[in-house]
Amino acid sequence: MNRWRRRQLKDYIAKVLATLATLFGLFWLTWILWTTASKGLSALKWGLFTQMTPAPGSDGGLLNAFAGSLVMCGIAVLIGTPIGIGAGTYLAEYARHTRLGFTIRFVNDILLSAPSIVIGLFIYELMVRPMGHFSAWAGAVALSFIVLPVVVRTTDEMLQLVPTPMRESALALGVPQWKVVRQVLYRAALSGILTGVLLAFARISGETAPVLFTALNNQYWTSNLNQPMANVPVVIFQYALSPFAFWHALAWAGAFVVVILVLILSLISRWLVARGKVSV
Amino acid sequence: MNDALKVTSISAISPAVRLPDAPAKITARNINFYYGDTRTLKDVSLVIQEKRVTALIGPSGCGKSTLLRIFNRMYAIYPKQRAEGEILLDGENVLDSRYSINRLRTKVGMVFQKPVPFPMSIYDNVAYALRHYETLSRVEMDERVEQSLRDAAIWDEVKDKLGNSALGLSGGQQQRLCIARAIALKPEVLLLDEPTSALDPISTAKVEQLIDELKTNYTVLIVTHNMQQAARVSEFTGFMFLGELIEFGVTGDMFTHPGQKKTEDYITGRFG
Repeated sequence: MNRWRRRQLKDYIAKVLATLATLFGLFWLTWILWTTASKGLSALKWGLFTQMTPAPGSDGGLLNAFAGSLVMCGIAVLIGTPIGIGAGTYLAEYARHTRLGFTIRFVNDILLSAPSIVIGLFIYELMVRPMGHFSAWAGAVALSFIVLPVVVRTTDEMLQLVPTPMRESALALGVPQWKVVRQVLYRAALSGILTGVLLAFARISGETAPVLFTALNNQYWTSNLNQPMANVPVVIFQYALSPFAFWHALAWAGAFVVVILVLILSLISRWLVARGKVSV
Repeated sequence: MNDALKVTSISAISPAVRLPDAPAKITARNINFYYGDTRTLKDVSLVIQEKRVTALIGPSGCGKSTLLRIFNRMYAIYPKQRAEGEILLDGENVLDSRYSINRLRTKVGMVFQKPVPFPMSIYDNVAYALRHYETLSRVEMDERVEQSLRDAAIWDEVKDKLGNSALGLSGGQQQRLCIARAIALKPEVLLLDEPTSALDPISTAKVEQLIDELKTNYTVLIVTHNMQQAARVSEFTGFMFLGELIEFGVTGDMFTHPGQKKTEDYITGRFG
């Protein structure tokens, strides 16, 4: 066998191995999605969105859980986004090559991959214990700790992608740096930053551990943020462990809706990125 | 525009049209520049005459762009870079930290190698800095934007689509838009850092013709790695090599009988 044939063979083997690895990963992913879809779709019903979570042993919906998740995730994004954009801007524009910047970026990356249960426990100690009870506020703050590093990272990266000549030409007009950042650089990085926020929202919509220790759950509707509040992940967790078949069905339906939501958010962010590429 | 393309060989340069000497607009004295500990400019001194085009030529890395970026203190956005010496703009030392950097940049505009329109409409690109500095009525703003675009020889091409994104323009149009953006503030000096190196020959010819028109109102300083371009557009040329200004003089003289061996070697293509 000559050298050329041997190279071809190696290339072929590498290709086969890489394809097999991809298929292996995709197999489990498809299985998970398939199970969620088949079990979730069959459990999907209109009452899901109109009825409250039921008393033990009876049937109902997930309205309070959906509303609670939406409220807490919304507040988390509202807290995490401005702080995250501010910090990301500092890293990219004011501390790009400084030692302090490197350190903050490193710490932020640790926070980014911190197990969410640690964040749940942290907020439990920080808010739930001093307040004496579980609350939606605590849940939202815990989730915002997950939003924050994601937004910091994307803002930092998206601003770093803005070409240096654009920064220089704006500064060369004698416009102060903070105005350049706000009026030129944010515009150039907007779609990327928005994508980061959307993905952060998608991520926290399914987080269980941080809310389990903070907002816990609530069988009833509440609009009081100082009270424990129902939310989809914890409801799925509890109902999946319950002995009732229609609670299992509710859990599957809830899981299915969350997956669809994440899918939609991912599609929107993809679209934003694609649109951003055309216009920037 | 064909006139600008006509002069293609150095031998065709004639010092026939020599403008009378003008007063000094910028006087640079003993400029030294450091990137960290490395000195990249060595005792550069030169005088730039008002409402003339002065070109800086030299091989890559000779320090010509570095020198250009000192005139509006562009280097100051990078913490490790610093300049020493004096640059007198109308008699005031602009390197003095008491000289407001934003005031300096409204007097000394800059156009970069790669055209970078801001991600906003054509109109807003030109109006951007104006809005920061001046409170103009709608009508006045419209007039200023139109005048700037006319001065940059791009008005006719964009007048019907001022609200469109500037990113949809061609490279050559974008570069002229960047010139319009720089002259909207009515600066006194324009720094051009290889303004045509990313452009095709036709756009290049348009920009060169524009530079020729700009000198009636502005003092222009252009960095170029294209010697024919320096010969076509400038009245004065400085040749730089390894951080030093080797020779400075009237463009025609420089290209026909250079005073230094290095200059001659460079402009005859023996190195570079």
